[in-house]
Amino acid sequence: MARLELEQLDCWYGKTHAVDHINLVVEDGELCVLLGPSGCGKTSTLRMIAGFVRPAAGEVYLDGQSISHLYPGDRNIAMVFQSYALYPHKTVREHFVFPLIPAKISEQEIARRVNEMADFLDMHDLLDRYPGELSAGQQQRVAIGRALIRHPQLFLLDEPLNNLDERLRVEMRANLRKMQQDLQITTVYVTHDQVEAQALGDKIVVMDMGHIRQVGSPQEIYRHPNDLFVAGFIGTPPMNFIKCRLEREESQAVLRNTHFSLRMQAALAARTESLVEGKELILGVRPEHIRVASQPEEGAIPAEVYVLEPQSNELIMALKLGNLIIKARDDKREIGFRPNVGQQVWIKFLQDYVHLFDKSTEQCLT
Amino acid sequence: MKILKRVLGVVLALFVAALFLFPLLWVVLASFKTKLELLAVPPVFIFQPTLQNYINAFNSDFPMQVRNSLIIAISSTVISIILGSLTAYGFSRYTIKNSDFLQFWILSLRMLPAIAVVVPFYLVFRKLKLLDTHIALILAYCLTNTSFAVWVLKGFFDEIPLELEEAAMLDGYSPPQVFLRVALPLARSGLATTAIFCLIQSLNEFLLAVSLTTRVAETAPVGLSKVQTLMGVDWGLLSAASVIFMLPIVIFTIIVRNDLVRGMSFGRMK
Repeated sequence: MARLELEQLDCWYGKTHAVDHINLVVEDGELCVLLGPSGCGKTSTLRMIAGFVRPAAGEVYLDGQSISHLYPGDRNIAMVFQSYALYPHKTVREHFVFPLIPAKISEQEIARRVNEMADFLDMHDLLDRYPGELSAGQQQRVAIGRALIRHPQLFLLDEPLNNLDERLRVEMRANLRKMQQDLQITTVYVTHDQVEAQALGDKIVVMDMGHIRQVGSPQEIYRHPNDLFVAGFIGTPPMNFIKCRLEREESQAVLRNTHFSLRMQAALAARTESLVEGKELILGVRPEHIRVASQPEEGAIPAEVYVLEPQSNELIMALKLGNLIIKARDDKREIGFRPNVGQQVWIKFLQDYVHLFDKSTEQCLT
Repeated sequence: MKILKRVLGVVLALFVAALFLFPLLWVVLASFKTKLELLAVPPVFIFQPTLQNYINAFNSDFPMQVRNSLIIAISSTVISIILGSLTAYGFSRYTIKNSDFLQFWILSLRMLPAIAVVVPFYLVFRKLKLLDTHIALILAYCLTNTSFAVWVLKGFFDEIPLELEEAAMLDGYSPPQVFLRVALPLARSGLATTAIFCLIQSLNEFLLAVSLTTRVAETAPVGLSKVQTLMGVDWGLLSAASVIFMLPIVIFTIIVRNDLVRGMSFGRMK
């Protein structure tokens, strides 16, 4: 049971400002994902929570108590490292026992906990093996068991699925989520993989250049990104960004660029009322919010199919509008025709889902 | 073609091994020969072995000299490994001002020619009334052995992923415990390699030993050199003594051979 709070946490590596005065609250039992590209400060943040890096300023609170000045071992925090950090000279059983020795726990209790953890991870047959004799997935289970056997208040994971192949990664992702929910343990999870973040997190913290760009549920982050960075980072393929100018024709708001002019529907137009005409904007449209048709329609924009990337049930299409290339993603069954490279198609943006960004501030206006 | 290459490789390896092992074989054989057989031309390889040389060796000062050598070599190796591993770990894990300069300075002690320090050492130890004692040679050998140990072990500690130690820190182990329970066991092959080299170096050292000892703390190499007198050389006795003197290193090498191989093929440990 623990609530983690970061207050004005700041970190420098030489002249690099790794983490710039961030504030964050992770509620009891919550799984919070720190998401961002490499070098964004997410791992530095995690290492400050663990106590490996001394913050230049700011405090870390666990259940209201400041732990910033404590030795890592006195914080009651456990961590799974990207490399798993298993000792080549210790067996699985010894890995489970090792964290319990400094805690001065009785031998019966140690035996009971090792047994319990072996049950939990289904590792009874492997207890006397060395890490070198285990598969990558089993090694990861050992790393998790070693971390959780102390019953820590806070659980930290640093890109734990990175070293696994795609198939195992998806499987372990589900296992981790289930495990975290069963134990109701407050967790901070670092990853650069936005799909993983979406799948796992109760809360996603998007970081960039040492700043927190946005905090929210996976749905909020996806649906209402704060700025261009968050919008571009979440979703595969990423959101299409199209430079436009805001114009008004016969009292109707229109987005115009050299390739098309788009009449805005009432809901979207309402958001632009306060903006001056001629304002430079960036239109953000996710590939899944572009409808592609083989026949011209009212308000549809002509485009040419440039590249086709068929997936199992979807079709990802790169479409060419003059010299602009945008990506669309549609369900194979719903699209209604079989597009060919070079074919002329007509596209429509689902205006309920598009975003407008101020070109200069990069903030989302919708 | 492949087979030919293999055969050639084995032949070459055997040839090189023979080149290095022949003197050893000669010494071992010589130690069982009588004076007459020893000087026979061409040398004899099949003869009636005698233990007389060994009996002579055991009845001389030689056992005491071996004892001295072992006391001095083992003490200086143990001290060097302790000091060296602590220092190397510090250089490997902590930010130290002028770290590179300090490391080079320590290493440069190893490059110091013994001849340059013989006289100063003699004067210093005379003042301290330590001439002809074990302590004098132990201290002197620690100088070169420790700098060597720091240099080699730093490389081994650098190889240990920091995360292994961080995991132990989070588990509640203090920095000294992390060093003893995580870093040292993982640097095992490095420790074995360093120990062997320190031992060989200390057992073989001659110049300092001959200058700083006279009788009580005399080491085996110095004692062996005195077998060659104006009256000629007792090759049989010398060979028997050499064989006895080789044994400690051979035994220690056999004990740590697995770690040694890993330590020599440095960087491949996983």
